[in-house]
Amino acid sequence: MTAEQTIPRSAPHQQAAGAQQAADAQQAAENLRERLSEFRALLVILLLMTESASEDQILELAAASAPGLGSARIEGYGLSDGQWRATGPAAGPAAGPIGVSTSDITRQLTALGQGSGQVDLPGRRWAWAYPLCSVGGLIGHLVASSQLEPSAEQRFLLQVIAQQTGVAVSNARLHARERATAAELAATNATLAQTVTSLRRSMDIHDRLTQVAVSGEGQPGIAKALHELTGMPVAIEDRYGNLTAWAGPGRPDPYPKESFAKREHLLRRLMRARKPIQDGERLVLLASPRPELLGIVALIDPDRAADTADLVALEHGATVLSMELARLRGIADTELRLRCDLVHDLLGGTDDESALARAEALDYDLRRPHRVVVVEGKGRARAHDALLSAVRRALRTARQDGLCEIWSGNVAIVTAGQANWEQLRRAMGSDLGSQCRIGVGSLRARPSELPRSLREAGLALRLQKTLLPGTSACEYPKLGIFRMLASIPDLTDVEAFVREWLGSLIDYDTRRKAELVHTLTQYLEHGGNYDATAAELSVHKSTLKYRLQRIRDLTGLELNDPDVHFNLQLATRAWGTLQALRDES
Amino acid sequence: MTGPVSSGIDQIGLQPGSHVCAFYRGDSDRNRLLTGYLGAGLAAGDKCICIVDSADTAERLGTLPGACGEPGPFGGQLDIHLPESTYLAGGEFTAADMLTFWTEAMVKAEIEGYSFCRLVGEMTWALRDAPGVGHLIGYESELNRVTASSPVVVLCLYDLDRFGGEVVVNVVKTHPQVLIQGILVENPYYVGPDDFLPPVRA
Repeated sequence: MTAEQTIPRSAPHQQAAGAQQAADAQQAAENLRERLSEFRALLVILLLMTESASEDQILELAAASAPGLGSARIEGYGLSDGQWRATGPAAGPAAGPIGVSTSDITRQLTALGQGSGQVDLPGRRWAWAYPLCSVGGLIGHLVASSQLEPSAEQRFLLQVIAQQTGVAVSNARLHARERATAAELAATNATLAQTVTSLRRSMDIHDRLTQVAVSGEGQPGIAKALHELTGMPVAIEDRYGNLTAWAGPGRPDPYPKESFAKREHLLRRLMRARKPIQDGERLVLLASPRPELLGIVALIDPDRAADTADLVALEHGATVLSMELARLRGIADTELRLRCDLVHDLLGGTDDESALARAEALDYDLRRPHRVVVVEGKGRARAHDALLSAVRRALRTARQDGLCEIWSGNVAIVTAGQANWEQLRRAMGSDLGSQCRIGVGSLRARPSELPRSLREAGLALRLQKTLLPGTSACEYPKLGIFRMLASIPDLTDVEAFVREWLGSLIDYDTRRKAELVHTLTQYLEHGGNYDATAAELSVHKSTLKYRLQRIRDLTGLELNDPDVHFNLQLATRAWGTLQALRDES
Repeated sequence: MTGPVSSGIDQIGLQPGSHVCAFYRGDSDRNRLLTGYLGAGLAAGDKCICIVDSADTAERLGTLPGACGEPGPFGGQLDIHLPESTYLAGGEFTAADMLTFWTEAMVKAEIEGYSFCRLVGEMTWALRDAPGVGHLIGYESELNRVTASSPVVVLCLYDLDRFGGEVVVNVVKTHPQVLIQGILVENPYYVGPDDFLPPVRA
């Protein structure tokens, strides 16, 4: 038996049924293949959604992919914040589904809660809302529509799209929040970094300038530190505009000096502002630890490029400069006071050891023989400070060192110099614009002997005023007979001698408040020259002759007699010496 | 050649006859794909034919290292075309003309002595408002027939920033392999040219 014999031939209707079954099976296979292919496409769409960080991009991708997966289209998304986001050409938050208002579709979707369900869209045979779910809850709904009832497979695909769209949007929002947080953190970090940098620079500025302040680098150190901190040339000036320190390139030579009026105007501006101000190409700040003590510090900034840190550096620099100015002034004041005390002690009398030690502390060599010089001013020169300043200037000009101080209304100089005292006197007079007198004591080897030199200087000054012509400097060592008379311990015989020769004239002067002794003295000192004597006394020659006649009458002496002349001259000089010694006591 | 060839992209191997749709985002991602894919072909001595959307891209590809490791010229190994002379030759897209172009190119390569071809097309031209661009998906489906039994690999490049979801879905449905995010997604159920019906356009 063959196979053909064992298998009976089918009837025609059976064959037709078999062919139909085969065709159905093939159709089913093709449908299945198409569904599987759609699943693959859906997988790719889901992959793209996963990698997308943009919510709009995800919603657009989901909406655009729907037509490729069946007959349905996605009309839009009703989001849980009440927005309706349409898809396609009319996409946007304001556009609602065709034929229905946004509020109507929102109301329908709200009624669905977290579930899916049918919605009414005019003109659409089928419309369905699928929830956009995420771990965080409901995001909204995807609304799909079609003119044909979609198959179960197509509806399943739409549900998957909705589900994955919800997850992807949730992830995108989370990612966006994280990005915003990260950006915020980055901004905060940047601000913090900027603050830290700024603080660090402030600390650097503070440390560097503090180092300058404590290391005693002075104004050049301050200028150098400021230049290093700001990168700009730095100038420090005193209140008059004189450059005291410069750091950095481009130092002007000669350094320009503005007019007094302009300088005062700038200082007034700085005092009012109490902060850095722009002065031409310079950024300037005042350093003023005391009202009378001023200095300025300037950043040379032609491009006006100074930033906040540069201003901080400038302000710190001005503070350190103030400290430096105060320190310098303090040192100067102290030194001045120490000098003043030393001079007073030397003139009043002190022991050698103490005087030498204190002089050494002031960097003054007192071990050399010194003398005292007393300067007396007349008229304007009697103002002590002016006289003292004039004496110091004159000594500097004459390159004489010495210690000067006010002493009993005059200026006393303790000096080792061998100056031309008359020249020095004239220089002082010229400086002061008025006359002054100088009495010069003799050199003394030890500081403890200086009071004697002071006495000599004072005596010389008084004798010069009383007996000597003019106002020329009077040096005690060159006083001859005066010096001898002044050195006599017991003056009784001298006084008797004076009384013997000049007693009648002294009594006359006392009674009449006349100047016969002084007239006689000048007459004899000028060698009997009428003209010179009259000029010295500032009287007319006839007056002089009258006075001389009165002297002859009162004394009964002949002035031309050589013996009388000698004794009278000795007596007048002794009288002057006694007068000077009396003034001293 | 029967074994897989290196795609030059993310260590992915491709079987001869593969028609791969590659999705990318932006110019730098596109350049990465082009450089890897053509670089591997040039290094392997394959005939490389590419259609790019701009003269700038074409110029940049001219600097790729050839089989000897030196930059071009490649002595005919690399042919670079623009859409105006290929996809949109004559001002419109015709799937048949384009399939003929590829077929002739492969024959010509064989005559020139190349045993393997590497084809790539940047598909951005399909976004232009030109006649016939609606036949893109049908063309992609038909291209499977041309490449299936040939010593060739084909890469179609789609910019995700510019093509929408519907094109993506249809492209995936008509391509046996999809390259996306460094993953080669196989689609054994792709719609073949005999089964493909062009989508009804609204």
